[in-house]
Amino acid sequence: MADFVQLVILGLLAGGIYVAVGVGFGLVWGVLNIVNLSHGALVIIGGYITWQLFSALHIDPFLTLPVDAVALFVFGYLLQRGLINRIIRAPLLFTFLLTFGVNLVIVNILLLIFGSDFRSVTPSYSGQGIELGPIVIPYVSLFSLAVAIALSAALAFILNRTRIGLAINAIAADRDAAQLVGIDLRHAYAVTFGLGAACAGVAGGLIAMIQAITPTAGEPYTLQAFVVVILGGLGRVSATVVGGLAFGLVEAFGQSIPGSGSVFANAIAFGLMVLVLVTRPQGLLGRLR
Amino acid sequence: MITRHQLTRLIRGFEMRKWALLAVAALAVVACGTSSSSGPTTGSTITLGAPLGLTGSLTKESTLTKQGYDLWLDWINAKGGIVVNNVKHPVTIKYYDDTSNANQSAVLMQKLITEDKANFLLGPYGSAATATDAAIAEQNAIPMVEANGAAQSIFNQGYKYTFGVLSPANKYLQGVIDLALTLTPRPASVAMLSADDNFSLEVANAVVAYATTKGMSVAVFKKYKNGTTNLTAEVQAAKAVNPDIVLNSGHLQEAIAINKAAKEQKLNAKLFAYSVGPSTPDFIAALGKDANFVFDGSQWTPQVKYTPAFYLTVAQYVAAYKAKYPGLGDPDYHVAESTAACLALERAIENAGSLDPKKVRDALAGLDVTVFFGQVKFDARGINIYKPMVVEQIQDGVHHTVYPQDIADAKPMYPTPAWDQR
Repeated sequence: MADFVQLVILGLLAGGIYVAVGVGFGLVWGVLNIVNLSHGALVIIGGYITWQLFSALHIDPFLTLPVDAVALFVFGYLLQRGLINRIIRAPLLFTFLLTFGVNLVIVNILLLIFGSDFRSVTPSYSGQGIELGPIVIPYVSLFSLAVAIALSAALAFILNRTRIGLAINAIAADRDAAQLVGIDLRHAYAVTFGLGAACAGVAGGLIAMIQAITPTAGEPYTLQAFVVVILGGLGRVSATVVGGLAFGLVEAFGQSIPGSGSVFANAIAFGLMVLVLVTRPQGLLGRLR
Repeated sequence: MITRHQLTRLIRGFEMRKWALLAVAALAVVACGTSSSSGPTTGSTITLGAPLGLTGSLTKESTLTKQGYDLWLDWINAKGGIVVNNVKHPVTIKYYDDTSNANQSAVLMQKLITEDKANFLLGPYGSAATATDAAIAEQNAIPMVEANGAAQSIFNQGYKYTFGVLSPANKYLQGVIDLALTLTPRPASVAMLSADDNFSLEVANAVVAYATTKGMSVAVFKKYKNGTTNLTAEVQAAKAVNPDIVLNSGHLQEAIAINKAAKEQKLNAKLFAYSVGPSTPDFIAALGKDANFVFDGSQWTPQVKYTPAFYLTVAQYVAAYKAKYPGLGDPDYHVAESTAACLALERAIENAGSLDPKKVRDALAGLDVTVFFGQVKFDARGINIYKPMVVEQIQDGVHHTVYPQDIADAKPMYPTPAWDQR
């Protein structure tokens, strides 16, 4: 029983990271209709900012997260305005090509700057946790989950309660009608991409505390973000939260299968994704569009 | 006016005279060379080819490999080159970036042979690329000496032209078990967490089988997907059986993940040993003092004591590395084994007394020489089963060689204290 509870806790905690990675990806996909293949690279930029601030200036990694968010917002805004906006209405294949190219460029610039050494942020409380009898809840993972939930809440607030958020929602609903009522499309697009990048940056800061990062470490996260968004459903932040936590749980239970079961943890998660696509194409909580 | 015909004849005449002059000059050189016979003359340049992952996921290890090759290259060219029948042949190494992709590595290997006319080949980084490149070396009958592909599956194909100077995968963690048997209290159970790639599984299966023959019980043997960064559930499974020894057969990234998860979940074993990872400086940098007490199997350490037949001693090698690559600390085993591959090739060419690929291949097959890296000798399959692996332990943030005892520079710190008592 204790093992089962521990596994559920570990799964939910791991899910926190997937939530953080997924929300930004889902936002960009839902509004701009761009499957951003450079999302993992943006995540890793955030990771390196946190690592740099932690190792050079000894700033607590959780305090560096706002820096990640602001830096990535600016970078994402400019990237969209200068480059990605050019293919905003192009066929899907062009968006794949461009964002994949951006991914390669970012990864190789990071390689030039930081080399391929493994970097990890290990604060003094890393590895410690709350112990409830046989059950352990590590602080770093717990705080990360809290940050991911807070990040999602903030994003939902911006999208549903602020002027620019409503504009973004309007574009997602009908881009031409939005333009007719006077919404500045280019600005709103760039803000959307910037918000997505900011979420990626925060996720990167969390990831740097949990695993060792290299410039290429972001690539699996692009794929995981894709699965999380499909699991939860496109178009709602809360759906991505559910998708991320579900993905974390499924992965943990997949890994706990004895013997070589964990080799198939990913396969099980992808199988679940296919199952969701077949039975509930809009995702667990998504809205049909 | 001269006609075009006359012009052509005139030019031919010049050409003839030029060739005649050259021939006389060449004869004179040869005559001088033979008459003085004071030292070797300089012959054609030997071109070696190596595809390496200079970008992509294997950049780190590939860069270390290149450092090992270049260290030897400087040394051999400072001497004037490889001496073959009293003629010194300078050496160049042609590198290509295979972007850490095994298939691309094979394509570039073929390009090195056909376009760049490489005389001999040096291996890429990693078992996957070495396996694809070995097939190319075989098809073209050009010897490849490699230092970074330890999977035995490469050498079980019946290839005749691939030689690996490093100890094969099945030996990687054997030393840790041998060491464990000498410790008190003697550990009795093993938990193995292994990645699912060929190399890691070879390491894991061999050490688990070995531990069983030594009377240890295997409490849990879990395989996970190669490259997994979240291994908390695996560590949880190991904790559930409370093993004396926790073994990991995988890669640096996974070793770091397991060590972090072990601390978080209070997995307290008497001995932690990981196949690949702890020997690199990154492991200590990433984990800080949590890296202490961890053991690993290593191809080579800067503390080993071998008496070299040629090239540098271990101490001289470390000094040469630090002089060429300042600020990087001691050379790790990837660098050393890569240099050793060059040394094996050099000695084989000298022994063959020829640049003929077939003759050099035969000389490699018969090679038996000890260098700073240890004994280099190949079995019938082409892998070096004669050099032992050494066991390292991280003690107070520094690597120490702890086994075999005759080349160790420190005693193992055992048992590993519980996480909350460190």
